[in-house]
Amino acid sequence: MIHLRDVTYFYPRATVPALAGLSLDVPAGQFCAVIGANGAGKSTLCYTLAGFVPHFYRGKLTGQVEVAGVDVPAASLAAIAGQVGLVFANPFNQITGARFTVREEIAFGLENLGVPLDEMRARIDDILSFAKLTELAERSPFALSGGQQQRLAIASVLVMRPPLVVLDEPTSQLDPIGSKEVFAVLRDLAATDEATVVLAEQKLEWVAVFADRVIVLHEGRIVADGPPGDVLASGDLTQYGLQPTRYTQAARAALAAGLRRDSAELPVTLEEAVEYFK
Amino acid sequence: MDRLKSDFSTVGIVLMGVGIVINIAMGRIVTTLSLPLYLDSIGTIFVGAVAGPWVGALAGIISNLIAAFFGNPANFLPYIPVAAIIGFMAGLFSRYGWFKLWWKFILAGVITGVVAALISAPITAYVNSGVVGTGMDALTAAFRGMGMSTLQANFLQGLSTDPLDKSISYLLVYSIIQALPNRYLDRFPRAEYVR
Amino acid sequence: MTVNYGLYVPKQSGIHSLHPLTKLAYLGFCLAVSWVIPGTWTPYLVFLLGIVPLSALGQVLPNILSGAFKAVLPFAISLFVVQGFFWPEGTVLQQIGPFSLKEEGLFFAIRGAGRILMAVSTFLLLSYTTRPDELTLALGQLGVPNSIAYVILSTLQIIPRFQTKATTILDAQRSRGLETEGSLRVRARALLPLVLPLLLSSIVDIEERAIALEVRAFGRQGPKTSLLVLHDTPWQRLLRWLLLLAALGVIVWRIYAALAPRFLS
Repeated sequence: MIHLRDVTYFYPRATVPALAGLSLDVPAGQFCAVIGANGAGKSTLCYTLAGFVPHFYRGKLTGQVEVAGVDVPAASLAAIAGQVGLVFANPFNQITGARFTVREEIAFGLENLGVPLDEMRARIDDILSFAKLTELAERSPFALSGGQQQRLAIASVLVMRPPLVVLDEPTSQLDPIGSKEVFAVLRDLAATDEATVVLAEQKLEWVAVFADRVIVLHEGRIVADGPPGDVLASGDLTQYGLQPTRYTQAARAALAAGLRRDSAELPVTLEEAVEYFK
Repeated sequence: MDRLKSDFSTVGIVLMGVGIVINIAMGRIVTTLSLPLYLDSIGTIFVGAVAGPWVGALAGIISNLIAAFFGNPANFLPYIPVAAIIGFMAGLFSRYGWFKLWWKFILAGVITGVVAALISAPITAYVNSGVVGTGMDALTAAFRGMGMSTLQANFLQGLSTDPLDKSISYLLVYSIIQALPNRYLDRFPRAEYVR
Repeated sequence: MTVNYGLYVPKQSGIHSLHPLTKLAYLGFCLAVSWVIPGTWTPYLVFLLGIVPLSALGQVLPNILSGAFKAVLPFAISLFVVQGFFWPEGTVLQQIGPFSLKEEGLFFAIRGAGRILMAVSTFLLLSYTTRPDELTLALGQLGVPNSIAYVILSTLQIIPRFQTKATTILDAQRSRGLETEGSLRVRARALLPLVLPLLLSSIVDIEERAIALEVRAFGRQGPKTSLLVLHDTPWQRLLRWLLLLAALGVIVWRIYAALAPRFLS
């Protein structure tokens, strides 16, 4: 689904590359989390997958970028649009404003793709219930809470059925309740196995719950890559500016205090921690 | 043709919308502070400056359509040509490198104001029978009292406000461009003319 | 907050359910007649016969009357003063101090106010009975590009939000001791710190909003569909053409009537 080979990218006027010789392959159906400190290149990677690097930001891109069978540097943004769905942090800026209700806002992408009316209606009803927005369907998108708006943004992208969905820190501007609502939708999305998902995220506790694979970015490079249990429990995390989950931290503290002796795998989720401390 | 296509890129379209929002909101803020100005073409001028004359002109046209919707249609619908010219001229000033020095902004504002007064006068005279429906009409009445025709009185009335209003608008656009980091300016279709 | 359609007054009426282009053609016809056919009272007659009954049918008559009154009043006052009292020469009807009200000026003012009344009331009747998205969809059928519809609809929705933000900033600046009342200089100086952050933040947002649109295939060429469906009928289509022809006919007749004496004599 994703095939990146030796990708290096400089933003205009930049002297330091945002991506530095990055190679990555993601098979179809995988839920892949990308973690890393601010400035590690998470957003740039997301924009590259969706074609905004280089088509929107210009700058200098070298290497191979192939996503959902599309040669990204050679294709137009319009051609990539139906293939890659992108959701980013600010929910408000993702509302087009060109439609007056939640239902119509979701329809906007389908209208642009020329989806026939009957199919459009059916798809919208499906996605409304998937994102738990059915009750809000006739409301104004501007009257929703941040969490609801972000679920609307996700629904608006998913309804177009892109083979690849890219989410760039979708909860970083939300309150805890809103974040929880959004993660609930993402967990359901991970369970469907229909779409390939790349999620850039700072909240490792959530990543640990539903990612199939975790990639750590540092200075535009991939420095760790593997199942969440391995990557998130690794001792290297702090040197990349990341904080291990509180479950791993607690286990490590217990280990240091001599409360736990076993060299079993450190927990990264709540369930694993319960098991670990039994 | 390619130039036009890039002017009307998605960024150009969104920029046009934001310019219109700025026009209408500024018009309202000025009323709130009860300043004797309009400042309702700042958005149009900015759009013309960074996206060229055609996007600027269209921003002016749609702006007046929407202002009619939020305010009084009689004050906006007939003046659509004026708004279009203001946007178009901003694009031309930008094209010829006027948007790099602050005093050229003022000069561009004065010229725009004179042109706006010239085009507004016949519209006010023939479409709105010589009045604009505000306190400005006292000035028109005074000029009429001096024996001038409606058209002459309307032109002088416009000349008494437009050049000042447009040069202040241009100065505000100057401060926007100065305050905007290159990283954001770079996104716009004709950023190279104002950097 | 429920859905805000701007001036639109949601009602179940025959006028509301007409195709927007039918309304547009009818209002254009009324406007042409009222502006082109001579006579001091012509615009008022067209208003009474053409606008008032339709407003009543559309259940927006009170809105039309109060909206038009508010919009036309300042113009009417100005016209009465500027043209009534400062008309250069003519029959003096009334002398008030050094000023004299002239008959010719008064009739000119009455007709002028009537024309503004017609311009305002046709615009309001359309806005009160037509959802903005229906109107832009209809304009799309005439070939107006999709991007224009986007600009119109999104600005309609963002302006009220922008205004809320402006009020918030204004209050914040006031609480930090910025004077927003007082002399002209004080108020003028309040302007920049008030508006600059607001303008910059909305300009900075352009980038993300453009990206969001691209993701939703906004830039895609080719046929598009619409969730909103406009109701149209053959007789409405016929009516539109007839109204358009009639409006053109009135205009052509008027031009002919104005020019013919010069060429024929």
